[in-house]
Amino acid sequence: MFAYYLELAWRRCRQNVSMMLLVVLTMAIGIASCMTATTIFAALSGEPLPGISDHLYVVTMDSRTQGDADDEPYAKPQSLLNLRDAKALVDAHRADGQFAQAQSLAQVSTTDGKQSDRVVGIIGYGSLLTTLGVPFRYGRPWSEAEQAAHAPVVVIDAKLAERLFGTSNAVGRSVSMGTGTFRVIGVTAPWKSRTQFLGLTQNAGSPLGQDMRFFVPVGAALDNGVGPLNSGKCAKGAPVVNFQSTNVAQCRWIETWVSLRTPAHVTTYRDFLARYAQAQHQAGRYVHPPQAKLFVTQAWMDRLKAIPGDVGLNVMLAGGFLLLCMVNVAGLLAARFLRRQGHVAIRRALGASRRHVFMQHLVEAGVLGVAGGLLALPLTLLGLWVVRMQPVAYAEAARFSPGAFAVLAALSLLVGLVVGILPAWRVCRQPPALQIKVA
Amino acid sequence: MRHLLAPLFRHRLMPLLVVLQVALACAIACNALFLLQQRLKPMLVPDGIGQPNHLIIASNIVSRGQPWETSRMRDTERALRGVPGVTSVSVAGSLPMVLNARMNGRVQGVGRDTRADTAMYIGDHLVKTLGLHLVAGRDFTAEEDAVQNHGVGMHQDGPAIITQSLANRLFPGQKALGQTLQLGDKDPAVRTVVGVVGHLMRNDFGDGSQRNLDNVMLFPGIPSSWSLPAIGVRVAPDADPQQVRKQVEKVIQRMLGDGMVRGIDPSYDMYGTLRDEALAQYRASVWLLAGVCLIVLIVTLAGIMGLTAYWVQQRTRQIGIRRALGARRSDILRYLQAENLLLVGVGTLLGLIAAYAVNLWLMHHYELPRLPWSYLPIGAALLLVLGQLAVLSPALRASRVPPVVATRSV
Repeated sequence: MFAYYLELAWRRCRQNVSMMLLVVLTMAIGIASCMTATTIFAALSGEPLPGISDHLYVVTMDSRTQGDADDEPYAKPQSLLNLRDAKALVDAHRADGQFAQAQSLAQVSTTDGKQSDRVVGIIGYGSLLTTLGVPFRYGRPWSEAEQAAHAPVVVIDAKLAERLFGTSNAVGRSVSMGTGTFRVIGVTAPWKSRTQFLGLTQNAGSPLGQDMRFFVPVGAALDNGVGPLNSGKCAKGAPVVNFQSTNVAQCRWIETWVSLRTPAHVTTYRDFLARYAQAQHQAGRYVHPPQAKLFVTQAWMDRLKAIPGDVGLNVMLAGGFLLLCMVNVAGLLAARFLRRQGHVAIRRALGASRRHVFMQHLVEAGVLGVAGGLLALPLTLLGLWVVRMQPVAYAEAARFSPGAFAVLAALSLLVGLVVGILPAWRVCRQPPALQIKVA
Repeated sequence: MRHLLAPLFRHRLMPLLVVLQVALACAIACNALFLLQQRLKPMLVPDGIGQPNHLIIASNIVSRGQPWETSRMRDTERALRGVPGVTSVSVAGSLPMVLNARMNGRVQGVGRDTRADTAMYIGDHLVKTLGLHLVAGRDFTAEEDAVQNHGVGMHQDGPAIITQSLANRLFPGQKALGQTLQLGDKDPAVRTVVGVVGHLMRNDFGDGSQRNLDNVMLFPGIPSSWSLPAIGVRVAPDADPQQVRKQVEKVIQRMLGDGMVRGIDPSYDMYGTLRDEALAQYRASVWLLAGVCLIVLIVTLAGIMGLTAYWVQQRTRQIGIRRALGARRSDILRYLQAENLLLVGVGTLLGLIAAYAVNLWLMHHYELPRLPWSYLPIGAALLLVLGQLAVLSPALRASRVPPVVATRSV
């Protein structure tokens, strides 16, 4: 029966080609615009590190010790802390995993200076690599002892290792960074988060994650002239903002992240954090009430508007547009079906039930929907290409994925069926006798 | 009126679909047009810069470790002045279209309540270098430009030059010259307005600053303790700007190169280029939104046409009867046009309500401003005209139905 309906649909399509083209094209444009907008949205939303970032929390508090030059009110939660506070929180080991981190831009070279590269990496403290789940190819992360002794060790990624040494197994070799020489103790696979979530206050405007090429413990880094790219806000008397400075003792520049796997852990940690901050305030170190808070990754990203509003707006726009196209096609299909009331009436008179007539028309609508989906595929690719040509920060997110193809196929069939329901229902309700008379 | 309404209620599906389609199109088009206008704004506001292709902006001159020493910046400035073809040089905390360093504050007249969100450009010789047009008062004097700023120079006494729009906002109906300003009511530092320039655009034009793109203050003097300066170089009208740009690059590299952050290269652009780049994202979204509006309207046009054609065809016999009973061609045409006007009118009305609701929702989620009332009649008129266009061809065909059709197939 289904094959027969398909054949009927095919015959009808050939009878009125221009109408069919209009229907298919309208559906294709609607589906393609929706697919383009949602592809970008999907690439930019969701967890930046699936399975990890959903239980990562950032610590925020008003940890100003002498107040800034202009002593602004503490209007927004601040994640940048003094190194002393970050170390104290990490060393307390109250969470399931904890680390402090700041981004750095450094020139990394072989000790003979023949090969070098300017790369972005992380200055860290605590179990940075294990908590973030950075995959290792060779070697290991730094140990607590190395960290405490300010041992000059570094973990680099395979790409940097290959660039410097021609092989990705660079464990045991040495690199020059800043003013010192660091021993490579581990090589990671190239690693980046899907979207930017670390150091958001200093990375506004670049929503996509970027490759982190080196990871270095903070003590050794500062000893050897490797400072954070941005030294954040410094207490009164110190300059406003510095870049690549290692003179950061008075500054708030490093973020503390903790991994908390259960709600109970979150509550316990929140209490611990509040006690720590309150103690600092009472001891007179923090001049303001600390207002310590924890934010889970997603909430923190929303708060700092890590994903540009345009992306969401475009999804709204495209969704509205698809809806318009669907209503439009429903109208065209209704007109198309009802024009053939005579044929339907004859089929009904010959014994076809309402259900059969309904099914027949629904199949026809579904076929048109699938045709629209097929045409939408090149249109979506075109749309994504256009977006990639645009000077927007998220242009690289506009890539078609196999998953998106499945969504597209399902969407087009769904659109075709939904759009067909009303006209098909309308046409099967016609009483046969009257129509035969007219025809 | 009754003969207009009765058929609509007898066959509800077709009119309903037309109304629904128009309502959706209206809601989408109103909001898309409004977004379009928002994105268009920074491109249309006059930026006040004279001779944009004879102004070189050097930016991203990031110091390593500690901020640039003021004396070093002054030496660089002197060296740049020596380049042939250069008429004026400014060292500033930030400059128009330099987006990586911004100085903003809420400014108010001393003793007044009105506050205005304002951008500040702090640097020497800015009026001359940027080619600004003074509409009242004077430029900063050489002594004022030679001032040693404490820090960037935001919070200290001194003179200020402000834009006309800021003057109008802070001192409505009064002369701004000689008035005093402060940054928030707690800051003890006071600035005296010595000059007013026609226009100057701020260097942050996100959604939050759309209403006051032209609110700018200039303070004199080179900012000190500053790691991210921008340098403006005005090129003589008869000199080749590209030639001068190369020289400027050489001089800045020679004077400051060893103190720069490794891994960040300064950029040396003509102001015109910088402006194009800064606004590129806005231009892109203007094209996108314009495309969306156009396609929405085309789809709606095609949809109404298709539905009306069927709707007319279905009533061919009735039309024939009416013609036989004495209705003229123009009567039929006008009848169908009136019917379309009614349907599209109802759809538009629903659409406007939806447009407003959508805008309220967007305002809540995306910090958009409120949809101005003036958009509603524009959107309505657009769709009504569109509806009439769509009905024209089917209605003309219907009006040509000969009366004799009425006698057939009965």
